[in-house]
Amino acid sequence: MDPVARLRSVGERLAPPLEARAQAVAARAVELVVSSLDVNGLVDRVDLNALLSRIDIDALVDRVDIGRILDRVDIDKILDRVDIDALLDRIDMDRVLARVDVQELVRQVDVNEIAQQVDVDGIIRKVDIDAVVDRVDLNEAAQRIDVDELVEKTDLGSIIARSSSGFAGDLLDVIRGKAVAVDDFIARSVARLRRRPYTGPPGPPGGPRPDVSPPDQLRPAGLAPDEPKATAES
Amino acid sequence: MTARTDDTLPSKPPPVARESYQGHYAGFVSRFLSFVVDLIVITAIFLIVLAAIWFSAKILTGTNIAFNHGGIWVLIGYVVWAFIYFARSWGANGRTAGMALFGVQVVRGDGGDVNERQAALRTLAFPLSFLFLGLGFLGIIFGGRRRALHDVIAGTAVIYCWDARAARLRYLSRN
Repeated sequence: MDPVARLRSVGERLAPPLEARAQAVAARAVELVVSSLDVNGLVDRVDLNALLSRIDIDALVDRVDIGRILDRVDIDKILDRVDIDALLDRIDMDRVLARVDVQELVRQVDVNEIAQQVDVDGIIRKVDIDAVVDRVDLNEAAQRIDVDELVEKTDLGSIIARSSSGFAGDLLDVIRGKAVAVDDFIARSVARLRRRPYTGPPGPPGGPRPDVSPPDQLRPAGLAPDEPKATAES
Repeated sequence: MTARTDDTLPSKPPPVARESYQGHYAGFVSRFLSFVVDLIVITAIFLIVLAAIWFSAKILTGTNIAFNHGGIWVLIGYVVWAFIYFARSWGANGRTAGMALFGVQVVRGDGGDVNERQAALRTLAFPLSFLFLGLGFLGIIFGGRRRALHDVIAGTAVIYCWDARAARLRYLSRN
């Protein structure tokens, strides 16, 4: 028998178990090395800044396909999981606004351009003028007008003077004014006798009376001070 | 319309008012003075008519009609004329000449215009207010709606129809 052939056959028989034993030894050795290794200490010894400076970030980013990543992200699903209310609660709006330079913001806004884009006619068309007028208390508004000042400062006086009558009208005003003054005097005297407040002549019949009296002397609109007694007294 | 007597002195311009009493129940003095004016007007017209009749009779027939001012026919004529004057005036626009002068007007109890029937009823009931020393007029002074007895009977009221605010503006415009 050829001695080389015999050695080859012996080698072929011994190789697998030896190889398995060698792998087991190597695995054990690696395990022992790793367990004895101080990773934190190792990391501390690594100069990360130097490492990062050697990395070409731009080249790295160029190799990343952002669009493909975004395509794989389901934004709606993410937003569904976000509690917006809780997020807003955590935001300190005062602090945010304090950091905003409102003046600068306003300076950047072109009001004229905004105004030109507004369809004022369209807005006016949409406004229900009748409803607006209904909500305005014209009596109250009229009470606020200082007629004396208005007449003195405007040409209204001359217009009124031109449209009014002359001496006869003035005479009528005097006569009527005197009569009404005496009416009021009598009414005040009677009210004083009856120990009741007098806020002007009662009425008008069938409608609310314009509010000309102080609030503490107000009575229900259209109701005379002693309305229920009217029939009996008359 | 002003309530201040110092605004109504004879030497002063027309009385001015901070608030207009237009539409409010009229007081006794305005109503009484307007009645006095009406009395003068109807009496004057009546006397003029009597004089015209006397003059016409004298011219046409030559007879001299002697009217006895206390006579029953003259009195009936006067009452009928007064009725026509008041009823027609109130029925037409709620005002007689005197009321127009003092800026007062007769209206329905609810503020509406007086109709002919109410005007006639008010005229007929008017004398009743004079009974018992004018007791029927006390409602104007003491009543809440300033209604006299004849107002209550006819369902009417008397209001100021004079726009005192306009008078005030007229006064301000000239000063």
